[in-house]
Amino acid sequence: MTDAKQDEVDPNAPVAGMDFFMQLEYHELLCPVVREFADALMDKRLIGHRCPQCGLVYSPPRGYCPICVVPTTKADEIELATRGIVTNYTVVTPVQYYGQEETEPFAKVSLQLDGGGNLSLQDLLEVPVEQVHPGMRVEVVWAPDSERKVDDITNRSWGTAEGAIQGWKPTGEPDASPDDYSDKVF
Amino acid sequence: MQERLTTHTIEFPYTRTLGPVYSAFLTGMRDGQVLGIKSRDGRVLCPPTEWDPTTGDALDGDLVPVGPGGVVTTWAWVTEPSRKHPLDHPFAFALIKLDGADTGLLHVVDAGGIDSMQTGMRVVPRWKQERIGHITDLEAFVPEGSK
Ligand SMILES: [Zn+2]
Repeated sequence: MTDAKQDEVDPNAPVAGMDFFMQLEYHELLCPVVREFADALMDKRLIGHRCPQCGLVYSPPRGYCPICVVPTTKADEIELATRGIVTNYTVVTPVQYYGQEETEPFAKVSLQLDGGGNLSLQDLLEVPVEQVHPGMRVEVVWAPDSERKVDDITNRSWGTAEGAIQGWKPTGEPDASPDDYSDKVF
Repeated sequence: MQERLTTHTIEFPYTRTLGPVYSAFLTGMRDGQVLGIKSRDGRVLCPPTEWDPTTGDALDGDLVPVGPGGVVTTWAWVTEPSRKHPLDHPFAFALIKLDGADTGLLHVVDAGGIDSMQTGMRVVPRWKQERIGHITDLEAFVPEGSK
């Protein structure tokens, strides 16, 4: 971190501080269900598992339904729509801490996909942050074939996949009625 | 199906204030001079400590120049340096008792090969051109007469 003030420090002044840089890098294999999710993203498909008992859809798939406490398998895999409704949002105003690359406020939205399934922490494109609101109808914008990657997906991912999904853009259709999502906001 | 490996990096950068003793020691490093500190019984400790190791009394007196050369008192050869090590080729971590000091400074000896390492060998510092006030301003010690 450099700023103008530090640059003006007298090079002959006593050394008053010492920078430490702790870094821990580790690697993990994606577990099978998340790996299938990642492979599908590379094919521009969103997949999830539908619980055979309660019908809730999990994307990325977890391999179980935590509510029913039952396993889900390949037999429960479904392909999700890549269109949906904004159910909730957060505007993040970046603080310039170490490692922060964003400088301008941006929105992260929760989505209810058409036909079932929810994603959170998605990027909303083409919409000024002050115009973001629940009910907006959006569709996926995939990263270009040559740039698409899934390196940022982890076994604890919540469906964020910034290397594969650039974000979601408005379809231009009228807003959904609150009745369509009011009991599904998260 | 192809395995997928994911990489995580956790970083925690911070700055530590140094206090009078370490500030003087690292200012010396920046200026190309290794400094030690006198303990209550008259020994010279290098690296300097803020406390007398025998009595526990605070040491805040003037630091004294030591070296530049010294003697390797013990060492370990690093055959395959990691990317976090100070040199990118095989080297020794060594305790070096600098001339005028009574304790050993843990540092690096760039000896070329393990066959050039010997307990009791004399070494001299090789300083970096650009120094910032860090222990690594002294890039490595090298066998005396090898430069
Ligand atoms: Zn269930």
